[in-house]
Amino acid sequence: MKKMKFTAVLLSLVCVGSAFVGCGVDKSATSNNTGEAATETVAEAAPDADGFVGLADRTPVTLTLFEKDLTEDVEFTDPIAKKITELTGVTLKVEHAVGGDEQAIPLMIASGDYPDMIYAKGDTNKLIDAGAIIPLEDMIEEKGNNLKNLYGNMLQRLKFSQEDPSIYTVGCYGVSTALWKSDGVMQIQNAVLKDQGYPEIRTIDQYEAALQAYKDKYPQIEGQDTIGLCLMGSDWRWLITVGNVASAAAGIFDDGEWAINDDTGEAKYKYLDPNVKEYMKWLCHMNDIGLLDPESFTHQEDVYFAKLASGRVLGSATPDWGTNNAKQALISAGLEERTMAALNITVNKDIESQFSKDPGFSGGQGIAICESSENKDKAFEFLDWMASDEAQVLTNWGLEGQNYTVDENGKRVLTDEMKKQKVEDKDFVKKTGIGKYLYPFPQRGDGAIDSTGNYYSTNSPEQVEAEFTATEKETLAKYGKKLWVDFFPARESLPVSKHGQAWQFSIPSDGDLAIFNKKSEDYIKQSVTQAILGKPEDFDAAWDKILAALDAMGVQKANEQMTQYTKDTIEFWNN
Amino acid sequence: MKTNNNTDKKYYKASFSQKLKEQKYLIAMSAPFVIWVLVFKYAPLVGWLMAFQDYKPAKGILGSKWVGLKHFITLFKEEQFYQALTNTLGMSILAIIFGTMCSITFAILLNEMRGVKYKRIVQTVSYLPHFVSWVVVANIVGQLLSPNGIVNELLVNAHLLKTPINFLAVPNMFWGVVTTSDIWKETGWNAIIYLAAITGIDMQLYEAAKVDGANRWQQIWNITLPSIRGTIIILLIMNIGGLVNIGFEKQYLLGNNIVAEKSLVLDKYILDYGIGMMRYSYGTAIGIFKSVVSIVLIWFANNLAKKTGEGQLI
Repeated sequence: MKKMKFTAVLLSLVCVGSAFVGCGVDKSATSNNTGEAATETVAEAAPDADGFVGLADRTPVTLTLFEKDLTEDVEFTDPIAKKITELTGVTLKVEHAVGGDEQAIPLMIASGDYPDMIYAKGDTNKLIDAGAIIPLEDMIEEKGNNLKNLYGNMLQRLKFSQEDPSIYTVGCYGVSTALWKSDGVMQIQNAVLKDQGYPEIRTIDQYEAALQAYKDKYPQIEGQDTIGLCLMGSDWRWLITVGNVASAAAGIFDDGEWAINDDTGEAKYKYLDPNVKEYMKWLCHMNDIGLLDPESFTHQEDVYFAKLASGRVLGSATPDWGTNNAKQALISAGLEERTMAALNITVNKDIESQFSKDPGFSGGQGIAICESSENKDKAFEFLDWMASDEAQVLTNWGLEGQNYTVDENGKRVLTDEMKKQKVEDKDFVKKTGIGKYLYPFPQRGDGAIDSTGNYYSTNSPEQVEAEFTATEKETLAKYGKKLWVDFFPARESLPVSKHGQAWQFSIPSDGDLAIFNKKSEDYIKQSVTQAILGKPEDFDAAWDKILAALDAMGVQKANEQMTQYTKDTIEFWNN
Repeated sequence: MKTNNNTDKKYYKASFSQKLKEQKYLIAMSAPFVIWVLVFKYAPLVGWLMAFQDYKPAKGILGSKWVGLKHFITLFKEEQFYQALTNTLGMSILAIIFGTMCSITFAILLNEMRGVKYKRIVQTVSYLPHFVSWVVVANIVGQLLSPNGIVNELLVNAHLLKTPINFLAVPNMFWGVVTTSDIWKETGWNAIIYLAAITGIDMQLYEAAKVDGANRWQQIWNITLPSIRGTIIILLIMNIGGLVNIGFEKQYLLGNNIVAEKSLVLDKYILDYGIGMMRYSYGTAIGIFKSVVSIVLIWFANNLAKKTGEGQLI
C-alpha cells in the first residue's frame, strides 16, 4: 500500500514536471559571447596570404538570419562560407518560413521570438511598429565605413520615411543596376522561332500566330501533347506570371499592382488600364482556341516546373528564378532547342516597353538587426564587412585560383571548369557558394567597377554573352542582336525612376490602403481568372463587373493614397 | 428541525474533509491536469481583451488603445466574412452528414463480412489514408481530377461526358471535391469507433432474431443500428461542436484562385486578414465569434439529444 502511494505521488510529480519542461527557453541557438567585441577599437589587421583583411575580432559566433522569401535551407558549409567564417568568425544560421509562409513574421512578432538578423521584405514596417529592429544610422556613422562607401549618396534612400527618417535596414538590391539580362518577360521556345524562320514577333498577335503554327505542325513533342502558353496562376505566382506580364505588355513599369506616372507621381490601380484589359482579353481568346494550358490556373508548382522541363511548353512568362532549374534540366537532357527566348512583346506596336527602365536604387528593404539579439554589434560589423570590397569580390567571384583567375590584362575571369558548371549544374550555387551570399546582403550591383577596373559582379556583357548556349547564340544572331535585352528599348533612352518601385514602399500594415491591396489582390486573382476562362463574348461584361467591384472596394481612394505615397517618396529622396 | 439541520451540516462538513482526506491521492493525481487546463486553456483567454483594443505588439495589452466594439462592427459589415462563414458551415455540414453515413455503412458492411482475415485486411487498408498528409492527398486528387486525369478519361470513355471537365476549376463543385476527398481519407478511420460499438452488441439478440426468422437486413435495421444509436449521437454532438473549427488545410491545398470564393474558410480568413496583416485585434474578434458559435451549437445539439433521451454529453 505504501509503495502504491509513493508511486502515485511520483506519478503526479512527473506529470507536473513534464508540463514545465516545455516552457524552458532554448538558448543554445544564440551564441555565448555577449557582444564584448563591441567596445574594442577596430585595429587594422594585416592581410593574410590571399590578401584578405577580414575583421579584427574573429571570436567564433553563430548569428541567425531569417529570410522571408527563402524556400529551402541554406547550408553554410560551402568554401565561400568557410572563408567568411575564417575572416569574420561568423557562422550564419539561415532560417526560412516553410512554403513562403506569409504569416511567419506576424507570428514571430506575436511570439516575440526573433533571430539576430532578419530580412523581412514587405513586413519590415511591421517589425518597426513592433519595435523589434534597431535603427542603424548611428552605427553607420561611427563604424560603417564600408557601408558608407558602398551606398554613397544613396544612404538617403535607405531611410524609412519622412516621419521616421531612421535607417533600419541595409539595402538588398545592387546599388548599380546595369541591365544585361531579360527576366520575367514573355518567352517563346527557340525551336518555334527556328521552325518559323525567325519571324518578327513584337505583338501578342504575332506571338499567338507563331505558337499556333508550330502547334498545328507538331501536335506532340517528345511523345506528349504540345502545350501552347503555360502559366503558373494557381497561387501567389499569379501576380508574377499573369498580372506582371499583363502590365508589362501594356507598357507599364513594374510598380507591383500600380501604374505610376513618374513625372507627376499620379498612381492608378493597374487593372483600370485599358491595355491590361486587352491583354487579359487576349488570354481569354487564347484559352478559347486551346493555346493556353487549361491547367494554368489549377496546377501545383511542381507540376508546372515538370511541364516546363519536359520541353513541350512553347511559351511561358516566368522569371529566371522560377525556370532556371527547368532550363538546366532541358540542357542536360539534350533538348537545348526547347529552351526559351525572351522577347519584347506588347499588346500593340505603339506601346513602348518599360522593361528596361532603370528603377534606380530602391533602398527600402533589406537585412535588419533585431533588438533582442545579444550580438547586435557583431551583426553590424558583419554586415559592414559584407559591404567591403574584399567581401563583394569573394561573394561574387569566389576564391582566386579556385574559382577565378586574373589574366594578363588584370581581368578577373571564372575558370573554365566554373563556367561550365555554372551553365550545366543546377546545384552550382549550392556547391560552390558563388552568388549565394549576394542577395539579400548589400551589393554593389551589376555594372559597378572596383579599384582594379573589374566589375564587382560576375555579370558583364561579355560574361552574359559567353554563357549563352549555342541555340541562344543562333537565335540572337538571326535577329542581329548581341544580348536578349537588345530587343528592348535601350536603358539610356528611358529616364531613371524617381520613386524607385512602388512595391517597395512602406505602407502601414493595418491601414485602409493595405486592406484594399489585400482584398483587391484576392478579388483580382479570382475574378480575372474566371473572366479568362470564360467565353470571349462574355469577357467585356465580366470586365465591367470587375471594374464596378473595384469601385465598390474604394479604388478611387486607394489611387489617391498611393499617389500621395509616390509624391512623398519622390520629395523625400530628391531633397 | 433546527437541530436536525445543524447535524446535517456538521455531518456534511465532516464528510467533505473526510472525503478530502480519503481521496487525497486521487486529488493529487488530478491536480496536474487541472493546472494544465487552467494554464493552457483559461489563462490565454486574457488575450480576448485584444479584440476590444487597437492592439499593437510594441505597446502590449496594457498600453494599447481601447476601442470598444469597433472590430466586431467592421467584421459584421464585411462581405467576405459572411462568404467565409457560409463556406465553413457548408463544408462541415456536408462532411458531417456524408462522413457519418459513409462510416456507419462501411462499419456495418465490414461487420457483416464472414472471413476474418479478409475483414482485417480491408479494415487496415481502408484506414491507412488517414495517415497520409493532406499535402500528398491534394496532389493525388489534383492528378485524378485534372482534364487529362483518370476520372475524366473514364467519364469520357463511358460517354457520360463529351469533353473533359477541369473539376478543380469549377467553383460550384469545390465543396463536393473537398467532401469527397475527405470521405476517401477518413471513412476507414471513423468506422473503427462504430465497429467497436457494434462488437459490443450482445450476440443473443441476433440469435433470438434469427429464431424469429429475421433476415440480415432486418437484423441490421432492428438490432445493430438501434444498439449503436448512443455512440452515433455522442459523436454527432462532438462533431457539431467543431462545426466552425475545420481548419483550412484541405481548402488551402485543394483550392486555387478560380474557386477562391468557395474555398475561403474562417480560419484562412483570420490568418490572411487578421494575423497576416498584423490586425491581431480583428483576428481575435473573429476568434471570439467562433467560440460563441461553437458553444451555442454544442448546447443546441446536446438539448436535442436530451429530448431523444439518449447519449447527451453534458
